[in-house]
Amino acid sequence: MHSRAQFGKWGEDVACRYLAQQGYTILTRNYRSTFGEIDIIVEKKGEITFIEVKSRKTLMFGTPAAAVTKSKQTKIHSTAFQYLHTCTKRYRQFWFDVVEIYVVDGKTTINHIQHCF
Amino acid sequence: MYAKTYGETTCGIDGEEIIVEVDIANGLPGFDIVGLPDTAVKESRERVKAAIKNSGFRFPSVHITVNLAPADLKKDGSGLDLPIATGILLGTGQITCANIDDIIFAGELALDGSIREIKGILPMIMRAKEVGKKEIFIPQGNTAEGELVDGIIVYTPKTLEEMTKHLNGNIKLTPLPKHELKLDSNYPTQVDFSDVQGQIVAKRALEIAAAGGHNVLMIGAPGAGKTMLARRLPTILPPMTEEEALEVTKIYSISGLLSRTRGLVLERPFRSPHHTISHNALIGGGSVPKPGEVTLSHNGVLFLDELPEFSRSALEVLRQPLEDGFVTISRVQASLSFPATFILVSAENPCPCGFYGEDDGVHECTCRPNEIERYQKKISGPLLDRIDIQIQVPRLNYKDMKNTLPVESSATIRTRVKAAREIQLNRLKGTKLHCNADMGHKEIKQHCSLDFQAEVLLEKYFVGLGLSARSHDRIIKVAQTIADLDASRIITGRHISEAIQLRTSNQG
Repeated sequence: MHSRAQFGKWGEDVACRYLAQQGYTILTRNYRSTFGEIDIIVEKKGEITFIEVKSRKTLMFGTPAAAVTKSKQTKIHSTAFQYLHTCTKRYRQFWFDVVEIYVVDGKTTINHIQHCF
Repeated sequence: MYAKTYGETTCGIDGEEIIVEVDIANGLPGFDIVGLPDTAVKESRERVKAAIKNSGFRFPSVHITVNLAPADLKKDGSGLDLPIATGILLGTGQITCANIDDIIFAGELALDGSIREIKGILPMIMRAKEVGKKEIFIPQGNTAEGELVDGIIVYTPKTLEEMTKHLNGNIKLTPLPKHELKLDSNYPTQVDFSDVQGQIVAKRALEIAAAGGHNVLMIGAPGAGKTMLARRLPTILPPMTEEEALEVTKIYSISGLLSRTRGLVLERPFRSPHHTISHNALIGGGSVPKPGEVTLSHNGVLFLDELPEFSRSALEVLRQPLEDGFVTISRVQASLSFPATFILVSAENPCPCGFYGEDDGVHECTCRPNEIERYQKKISGPLLDRIDIQIQVPRLNYKDMKNTLPVESSATIRTRVKAAREIQLNRLKGTKLHCNADMGHKEIKQHCSLDFQAEVLLEKYFVGLGLSARSHDRIIKVAQTIADLDASRIITGRHISEAIQLRTSNQG
């Protein structure tokens, strides 16, 4: 695996551990559709959340969350609706979150931005 | 975090206070501006972002919403960059300032954080003072305008960083000193009436026009000196009053035509648009109306050379401002009134070839009668009716032209004009009028007294020439100016007959 892809995978693993600690149940990882991919899909108290994970090793180019552009958001939207169509369980509510992870000076910071688009 | 600052935009020729609200909330990084911004205001996003970063501050990586209130007023111009940036720095705690509600910010930001000059600073400062603000921050490039208003502290920071340091109390900027308004200075001119030999009648007519603010039409063959005479009119105009000068400066400030070194416009404006001008450019226009030539020549002279060459629509739109002294322009975005009190000076040839009526025995008019008629009909009756002084400018003969006799200089004529204008200002004290031409029917009845002989003459001409009610008033106004030049309290028969002669020399 390419090192950049590896770093992204590592970020998603970190995010999963963090979400599990927060009481989320992980439903799927890397759900793909023709529109795009959702990194993590989790559930908590009957509500479903679609999560995009962004990891960075430097803040020189802005925070990771700034890279979740409008077009990326549209892709995630479409994929999420595809998922909701195919799944049998009904949820009270659905959300879109971003988890940004950055490693600066060997220190890992996790920032969970809830319900952001 | 929530923060509120105050900025200004321009609306017509006045400033308008804008409340800039900044909300800084968690969420995906973003920056939205709401509140009817135009393109220049929307683009301020990128300028503000870069300026904050490059001034050594932190641009928050969160969601920023900027609201410009009142929401229904269209905001234009880049002057809101500074209040928006200040709001963000306040909201993120990078500025702490207790009296932020007493301050107005106005200025465009460069990407490196320096503050660039903007249009319309003078009306903004005047408005800020009116609404009771105590301080205003303006760009250094607008210093000249900042010195004109008394009663408000004006700061001119060079950069955003400098302004922030001042607000935080780290450094102390020195407020701008106040500039004394000196109006009666004899500004140097490159032309002078002493350059013009002969043309006694035309010079007298222009002197009367300058003294009373009357409109002039000069008719003559090509090369007779019509344009030369008109260009010298500004040199004999009386100095502006302080009120007039500020009004003109406001207009020029909004149009971005002020020179950077000198704040106040001291000379009366002299505008001579080319005859291909559109009627929109003449009276003002645009989706957010901008002042046109009639407004730019407010309190000054609008010179239309080759009058019949102007498009019909351009000439006809002049009728209303000539009568009312202001124009109201209605567009989708706004309906605005601009002042437009000016002296209309125009020049034309008597026919297409230019020599109709010339009796020197050398030049023969080669135009057909219908051509002459068509040419003269290009200027409508209603427009001519509004021109008080219509004179023939004959060609000079060789002897007059080579004459070396001393000719009266502009300065001498100006002294007489000033004295006459002084009398008028005294007479019209307490009103908003400045000269005889501004008077309406009511003022004429109140101020102008004709002696017996004058009454008789006026009646004779009124009936004989079939004058309109407007012409009647206008003849009295010109006669009043002639009387003022004479320092006479009442209008005598001589004054009335000169006024009638000036008006009707063209009509036979």
